[in-house]
This record gives sequence, C-alpha cells and structure tokens, in this order.
Amino acid sequence: MATKTAFGTAKRATDFRHWSAFRNAAILLVVWEVLGRFKLVASGALPAPTEVLVRFWQDRGDYSAHILATFQGASLGFLIGNGLAILAGILFAVSPVAARLGRGLNVAIFALPPIAISPILVLTFSGMTPRVVLAALGCYFVTMSATVTGISQTDRRMLDVVRAYGGGRLALLRLVEVRAALPAVLAGLRVAAPAAVLGSILAEFGGGGRFGLGAYLIGSLGRADPARLWGIGLAATCMALIAYGIFAFIEARLTRSTRAVTVAATPLGIRAEGSFLSTVVITLASIALPFIVWWSLLKVLGTPAMIAKTPAGVFDYLFLAPSAPSAQSRMIAALTQTLPMTLLGMAAGLAFAFALALATVVRPGIVRSFMPVALVTQTMPLVALTPLLVLLLGRGLSVILWITISVTFFPAFVTLAQGLGMVSRGALDVVRAYGASPLTQLRLVSIPASLPYLFAAMRLAVPRALLGVMIAEWLATGTGLGNLLNQSRGYLDYGMIWSVAMASVLISVFFYQIVIFIERRVLGQYGMQPAE
Amino acid sequence: MTSTTGIKLETVSRSFNGRETIVQALDDVSLNCPAGSFTALIGPSGCGKSTMLRLSLGLDEPTSGEICIAGMKPQQAVKAGLTGVAFQDAALMPWRSVEDNIALPLDVLGRKRSDFTGKIAELIELVGLKGFEKALPGELSGGMRQRVAIARALVTDPRVLFLDEPFGALDQILRRQMNLELQRIWMESCATTLLVTHGIDEAVFLADRVVVMQNRPGRIGEIVDIPLARPRLPEVFTTPEFHALEDQVAEALDGH
Repeated sequence: MATKTAFGTAKRATDFRHWSAFRNAAILLVVWEVLGRFKLVASGALPAPTEVLVRFWQDRGDYSAHILATFQGASLGFLIGNGLAILAGILFAVSPVAARLGRGLNVAIFALPPIAISPILVLTFSGMTPRVVLAALGCYFVTMSATVTGISQTDRRMLDVVRAYGGGRLALLRLVEVRAALPAVLAGLRVAAPAAVLGSILAEFGGGGRFGLGAYLIGSLGRADPARLWGIGLAATCMALIAYGIFAFIEARLTRSTRAVTVAATPLGIRAEGSFLSTVVITLASIALPFIVWWSLLKVLGTPAMIAKTPAGVFDYLFLAPSAPSAQSRMIAALTQTLPMTLLGMAAGLAFAFALALATVVRPGIVRSFMPVALVTQTMPLVALTPLLVLLLGRGLSVILWITISVTFFPAFVTLAQGLGMVSRGALDVVRAYGASPLTQLRLVSIPASLPYLFAAMRLAVPRALLGVMIAEWLATGTGLGNLLNQSRGYLDYGMIWSVAMASVLISVFFYQIVIFIERRVLGQYGMQPAE
Repeated sequence: MTSTTGIKLETVSRSFNGRETIVQALDDVSLNCPAGSFTALIGPSGCGKSTMLRLSLGLDEPTSGEICIAGMKPQQAVKAGLTGVAFQDAALMPWRSVEDNIALPLDVLGRKRSDFTGKIAELIELVGLKGFEKALPGELSGGMRQRVAIARALVTDPRVLFLDEPFGALDQILRRQMNLELQRIWMESCATTLLVTHGIDEAVFLADRVVVMQNRPGRIGEIVDIPLARPRLPEVFTTPEFHALEDQVAEALDGH
C-alpha cells in the first residue's frame, strides 16, 4: 500500500506542476497581448500574439514551401549526422585509443560556431548540401557523446554475466551495451532534433536557396513587419519543439524497461594509461587530425584552391602573403571587439543561471513553474531568433550582450537545476537532521555538490556564447568577427572567410580547453567526477 | 571422467596497482576442489574471495600461478559452457523478461534457445517463479530476482558452479529457504560448487569444506571440514555439532 500512496503523491505533484506551468503561460500570454496591443515595447517591435497569428494566417501560402525546405535540410542532416555519431560513439566506447585520437576532432566539431563555417559551406557546396552538413554537425557531438556515455556507463555486473559465459567484445555490444545505451542515445537524439533545425536555419542565413525558414527570416528582416518575423520565429520554434517532443515520447516509453533495478556497487574501472611517449604521440595525432580531415576533405571534393583554403593556405594568407599585415590588423581589430563581449555575456549568463538554480533549492515552489519554460526555451532555435531580438533591442552593443546571455543562460540553468535535483536526499537529510537552515544546506551540500554541473554548464556555454556574439555582430551591430565574416562574404575575400572560421574555432576550442583544465584541477581536489 | 570437473588453483597471486601502493589481493593461494564437492569461501571484506571467483571465471588474469577448471584454462571452460555463475547482485538485464534473462547464457554461448524451452520452464518451476515467465525484473521483488539469477546459473547444466554471495541481499528467512533449495539442486546435479559467502551458518550448512580466508594480503587461513551427513535438514541448524562447527569457523576467522 505504501507504494500506492507514494505514487499518488508524485502524481499530484506533477499535476500541480503542469497546472502552474499552464497558469504562468496564460499570464504571460495575456501580458504579452496587452503589451503588443498598446505598442508598449520598442514602439511596436513586439506585436501581440493575436496579431502574429493573424499575420501567420495571411502568410500561410508562403509557409509550406519554407517549412518543407527547412524540414528537408534538417531531417536529412539529422539522419546522416546521428548515423555517423552513433557509429563513432560505439567506436570510441569500444576503443580507448580511437577515443583519444578522435578527441581533437570531436572538440573542434563541438566548439565550431556554425555561423562561421556556413559561408564556407555555401561557397563549397550547392543546393541543400550546406544545410544538411550544418544540421548534421549540429547533431553529431550531442549524439556521439550520449552514445559513449550510454555504453561506458553500462552496469558492469551485466557485462560480467556475459563475460562469465565467454562472451567477447561483440557479444557484449550486441547483448548488453547497445540496448543499455538506448535511453542515453534517445536522450541524445531528443536534444539533437532541435539542433538539426537550428543548423539548417543557420545555413540558410549564409545564403543559398530561396526557400527555408532562415531564408524567409533574413528576407523579411528589412520589411518592417514585426508580426511576420515573430510568425516565422514561432514556426521555427514549433518545428524544433515537435522534433524534441517526438523523441522525448519514444524515450519515455522505452526507458521504463531499462532502468536498473538496483544500484551498481562496483566502481568504474580505472582507465589504463599507456607510456608517456604513446600519450604524447596520441595527443599530437589527435590535434593534427582535424587539420588532416579539413585538408583531405578539400582534396576529395576537388574545390578550386582559390575558394577552398587548406590550413597552409590560411597560414599563407595571414602571415606570408603581401596582404598579410592588413589581414592581421583587421582580424585583431575584430577580435578585440568580439572577445570581451563573449566573455562578459558568458559570465553574466552563467552567474544568473547559477543564482537562479540555487534559488530552486531554497524556494523550490517559485522556480518549479519556471522549469518547463526553461526546458521549452532549450529547444527553441534561440540563436536563429536573433532578428527578433534586434527588433526589440535595436542595433546597439547591448543587443550582443542580451543575445549572449540568453543563449548561455538557459542551457546552463537546465544543467545546473537538474544537477542540483540529483543531490542525494541522504546528504541533505543529514544536515537537515541537525536543523540546518536552507542557506546552510546550500553552503554545505548543494553548492559543493553542484560544482561538476557548473563546469558542465561552462563547457556547454563556451561555443554558444561565441556563436551568439557572432550572429548578433553579423545581423545587428556590424562589429567584430561576425561582421568581418559577413563583409568578407560580400567582397569574396576567401582567405579572410577561412581565417575567421579557423580563428573562431580555435578561440572556442581554446576556452573550452581552459574550462576542462580548471575543471580537472578543481574536481580532482574534491575527488569528484565531471558531469556529462 | 568425474575427476576432471574440479576446480584447482595452484600458487595463484593477483596484485592490483593502486595510486601509490600495490594491493596484494591474493597471495600464493592454492586450493583443490574435487569434482562434485561443495566448497564455501568465507572471510573478511577484501580478503580476495571475489577475486578468486573472478579469476576462476576468466574475468581476470592472475599475476602468477595456474588455474584449472574441469582440466582446462578458465577461459576455455567458460567458452565450453561448463560453468555457471550467480553474482552477489542478481545483475539481471532490466529489458529482458524472466525467461529471457534465464536464457541469456544460451545466447552468449550460441546455443539454440528452442532446445532448452523445457529446461527453462523446469527451472522457473524449480525456483518458484511459475506465472512470472514474462515479467520484467523491475516488477519482481529482490528475492524473486535473486532466484532468477540462480535459475540462470543452472540453465546450461553446469559441471562447475560459482556462487558469489547469491543470497547476500535476502532476509534471513528467505535465505534459509534458498539454502535448502540450493542443497537439493546441488545434490541432484552433482556440480562442483564454489560458494562465496559472508554467513557462517550458510557456509557450514551447505559446504563439505569451509575455506576461511584472511586479508592483507588475501590468503587462505584455515580449511574447516564439515562432516555433517546429507541431506542436511533445517533441524541441523540447532544441533550442538552445528554450533561447534560454527564456532570453529568463527575462531578461524578471528585468526586463532
């Protein structure tokens, strides 16, 4: 009977949560309607929801072609990207050497701001290909790391049973690991689905093709029609949400039969370390691999050297060619504008997310209803909605900051809040049993326990922040790296396009590595494991 | 050739490299379990009981020494399907039904499931899970799950059976019942059995010999013979001989 009661309470709690989420959404809509109707925000830049819907209905003839085009790019990219990601994930999980070799490539793919390579893709490929590639790149890292995590966190006791009957590597994969990793892989697909939509839209920003929501958005940007822009944003968000929802549903259905019924007692095995020499060789190879892939892709595709710059070509452009000093000074000027904004926006977004996530511990009620909103925002192609923010905030520097904060805040908040939700009840109960106040609980348990998630949020935020800044610069302010990229696109300055792309990836990887370095030091000191 | 279905460890050592120290999990252990015998391993945590079992199953390699299972190397014996194992935790696959979990060793060994349908049904009956064939582990109680694991260990008709604290998670009453069941199964199958346990009463009740181990480094301290007649009935738990044997094992555990 005890289980029945517990179930009843849990059900009531979710009912309450749903209800309060609906209530908040309703309040939000009403406020929005009033603000829009009376043109209270930025003199009409925020149209009322009803106006957006009316406009959407008037434009309905246009939408089908645009949605279809984005859907095609996103879905094809989703299939290809995730197919490769799952295969790569299995390979990395099975072979530690492959995982160490592929690390450089994986980090580069994770860190590359899609907007930086979209002009390159548009120049190098034609038709749908840039969208497919960008959508696939958007999916790859999420699903690959989910696969690796899923396989490597397989309950070791199950593996032992199979091995105890002489099961080899393949039997382990076939009978245990692939099935055990399924929920993790599905969770990856769930996050990858909106990322594919975002990738396709970002590629559409870079040009190429009349149809697609991104192309529609850019095309409508100059037409002083806020209601249409919001309608497009809404359509893009719906697409991403539906994609997310489908996989969330499948995941929920399947997870029930996969959750382990007991807790694993044996600790994870210590990773075998090779000799110092082999470690150095593998690390160097791992750094070289992205460049080798870049170079060989261009060779295989046979793109003319004038357009497609190899690593050597970029080096030549930046350091050896007669125009190198001018290129260097433009690049440095752009960097001095972009980097401070990236760091500032990221720090502000993370600080805000951390503060709010800690507030969820002290006052769960207030923020509980905010969580669904944050989760929905997670799936929104927020970066793709930059034109809307430009509409609201104008073209000043503040728009960069707000966009950067908004793209870093939500994923960081979700990561942190979920991490704090996993803090062991037992640990909290111990301090509560001694009458600890909520603040003392925070200080003694929640904050230390949330450190791995804070670092996970930082890792997540680095490339997003750079992407946010570059898009804002490209579309709104006309400053920094984003603008340099856009200008070079206009001047057909191929050397600069490649240089900016490479610089943005390197910056992103550099900051990512710094976060990893600090994370290892700090977590190592506390004997903690990094959070996935 | 019954003599070849025994377990034989000869001067086996296994050390693990810790962060700064070398942990000697097993130090020069020799043990001979004759075919058809029932041996219990008992000892404090970290004395290498589980390591011995893992080495015997080929899940791990000894640093030095030889292990012979049914006259073969552990890996060969395991691949030949001569061994069965039940771990401390049921370690069932949550997505497989009771039937499918019991059939897992067949899938690993590449045997045809259809040849074993009768055997599986018989085992389900034996462990008292009739009617739960299609249930998922998440729908079973802890004791039921453990019984599935026992049935799984028996599905291949093993000649050598390894049990790693199979009843550790069960309550005392259920544990006694399972001990009786295990004795019956063992007497019917005549499989050479090695049981790792924490329970002195369990070890004395089931085994022909109780091997008492010591830790740091893991080694065999003393071997206590249990001359109680078979089949042993529940009443034996209360006899003076039983208590005397329990005391003898307890003393050996204390290192006297």
